[in-house]
Amino acid sequence: MDKEQINQTLGQLLSPSQVNTDTEDLYDASADRYKKYAKVRRVLDVPVPAAIVYPKTAEEVSRVLSFCNEHGVNVIPRAGKTATEGGLENWKENTVVMDALHLNQILKIDDYNMQATAQAGVPLQVLEDAAREKGLTTGHSPQSKPVAKLGGLVSTRSIGQFSTLYGGIEDMVVGLECVFPDGHIARIKNVARRSGGPDIRHIAIGNEGTLCYITEVTVKLFRFYPENNRFHGYLIKDMETGIQVLREVMVNGFRPSVARAYSEEDAAQHFYHFHQGRCVLLFMSEGPKGIVDATGDAIEAAAEKFKDGIIEPVDSNLIEDWFNHLNWSQKDIDDEMEGMKENDAHAGFTTEISADWETIPKIYNRVMQRIRQEYPRAHDLTLLGGHSSHSYINGTNMYFVYNYRIHCAPEDEMRVYHHPLQRIIVEETLRFGGSMCHHHGIGKFRNEWTREEHGSAYYMLEKLKQSFDPNGIMNFGTIFPQADGKKYQQ
Amino acid sequence: MPMKLICAVKFVPDPDRLTAGSQGLILNPDDTCALGVALDVKSRDPGVTIEVVTLGPLSVRPHMEDLLRLAVDRGTLIWDPGLEDGDGFVTSRVLGRYIAGRACDCVLTGTHSLDGGSAQVPVQIAESLGLDQMTGVIRIDPDRFDRTRAVFQAMDETGVTIWEMAMPGVLSLTRESGYKLPYPALTDLRRDVSETLTLLTFRDLGFSAAEVGRAGSRIRVAAANPVTYGEKDPKIVGMDDEGITQVVDFLKKQGVC
Repeated sequence: MDKEQINQTLGQLLSPSQVNTDTEDLYDASADRYKKYAKVRRVLDVPVPAAIVYPKTAEEVSRVLSFCNEHGVNVIPRAGKTATEGGLENWKENTVVMDALHLNQILKIDDYNMQATAQAGVPLQVLEDAAREKGLTTGHSPQSKPVAKLGGLVSTRSIGQFSTLYGGIEDMVVGLECVFPDGHIARIKNVARRSGGPDIRHIAIGNEGTLCYITEVTVKLFRFYPENNRFHGYLIKDMETGIQVLREVMVNGFRPSVARAYSEEDAAQHFYHFHQGRCVLLFMSEGPKGIVDATGDAIEAAAEKFKDGIIEPVDSNLIEDWFNHLNWSQKDIDDEMEGMKENDAHAGFTTEISADWETIPKIYNRVMQRIRQEYPRAHDLTLLGGHSSHSYINGTNMYFVYNYRIHCAPEDEMRVYHHPLQRIIVEETLRFGGSMCHHHGIGKFRNEWTREEHGSAYYMLEKLKQSFDPNGIMNFGTIFPQADGKKYQQ
Repeated sequence: MPMKLICAVKFVPDPDRLTAGSQGLILNPDDTCALGVALDVKSRDPGVTIEVVTLGPLSVRPHMEDLLRLAVDRGTLIWDPGLEDGDGFVTSRVLGRYIAGRACDCVLTGTHSLDGGSAQVPVQIAESLGLDQMTGVIRIDPDRFDRTRAVFQAMDETGVTIWEMAMPGVLSLTRESGYKLPYPALTDLRRDVSETLTLLTFRDLGFSAAEVGRAGSRIRVAAANPVTYGEKDPKIVGMDDEGITQVVDFLKKQGVC
């Protein structure tokens, strides 16, 4: 089938107005924020898809997927377009991008059973605003909240800034509806808990569009107590101190909604008005007043225990103000795009990994050492640091952040800068037994390490793919390594 | 005969850099334009030769190598611990003596330095070479730029003027010229260029220790009085429109903007 035939059939399966073949929109649909610089400089090296389709119901999704499955047409599920790891990048000539634009209804906000049901294309901000009207919150607040949509958040196993209290999206999803390549529509019912075999929600959560298309999600709701919020901040001597205090709070059984430790460089980027060239440790506690007070006391006790590494406290108003302006909007994204047209620079990249408490400082130090010693373009780096921002009873994440002046052609940027830096981070993380992908998903550019990430359990992942997507039409190249995709990676 | 161009450049602290450890450096923006126009000339006539010379610490070496990965033919880094703390006069003498020993039809420099220089070095280089010099150059006419003359536009506070100057001479570009460096090819980025970079010390140029560094400088620090800042009432504003307005109003009141 050629693109024309594909589009003709899509127009019959849906209505013509639901099939978009606009040249500029197709160019935009051929890559996500991973290749943002090449994209804005118009030097993308990947094929444009045949069309973008906008189904309105699960049945329409089913019809399109069945057609694509039968004719070997690649399908890329898409929602808020905030993907950062190449999950929305297209590597096939015959590709249909399935956008959740019209799946935009909040179906129910149930404040008695504390759960909300919404379609995949509902922006998280819209759902959060609706919940707030009832004094509730989803508890999910990634920086992309104003732009990201529920389908994408669930399919990429997203996490929010308040995860240390509320958990990641996988802890929030109660049930969902999804459609498989053969057209089967599966509904996972909404119950508080069950032991009905393996938890099949996790086949859909985090599948990154490689197994199914998520059409509807039910998430938990929580009471919102903004009046009780408390903030703590400290300038600290080093990252080790920060990790130690974070661990102390967590292992003592407390769950601040935010618990973060920033390296000097990363702190300078975020807290220009108070960092003083030091690492920064900060917390936010929320919830019922008694819990907040107890958590605040525990944070202060932990800081006291490690006082040798604490330089001085930071005014909590500064921390609160910073949190209130942390999210990035569509305007921020657009502004960055405009800036990249004129300047040989952008807002930088990140690679997020996780490991246990004991291992995270080892990975951090080793990565910093290797980049400074081995990376041939180290003199172009304008920022190299990291922060821990999501903690658990047994460990935490590390968000490596880096930026650089770009001294190469836009089409070479990833090869010269991001890829070699990310390679060092991933290699060291896997070598120490951590996970190479804490919350952005694997996407298309870390898939060369998917087997190593999962080890002997990769067998299970591979069987899922073979079972649910035997023809390999779902998001070619994402999560699962593909020989045909290497040309776009190197 | 194709022209021989020498670009005298400076690497300055990167104002955007947040990385710890050694201070990051960038090619001074005006100097980038000087090299940019040289490379533009060479792109029109591949026979043109370009040499880049700088005076600075050894940490500029990877940056100089990057320039050599463009179409620059030769690079010279003049470095020596004894050159530290030298003023613009010493820098000009050292660069001038080096350039005097090279065949050259035009010396291209920047006009201003991002790190607060006095813009005297290009003038003093010209003085030491006995050449004419013009600052504020924003465009060089490629069709009227050869071994005998240069026709160019220069900008000052009164406007833009077209000039013709006999070559050899010194032309100092500004960033308003918009000349940019080309992107190196991916293969060039991995090319070993160490053989085209020459490292010299002040002794190689016949200077004594008394003639360079602080000892050779004409500018003397008579006294240094550290500024003591009095405690003022801090005012914390939000990062919203109201806060931004307050900051702008404050800066206006201070005459900053």
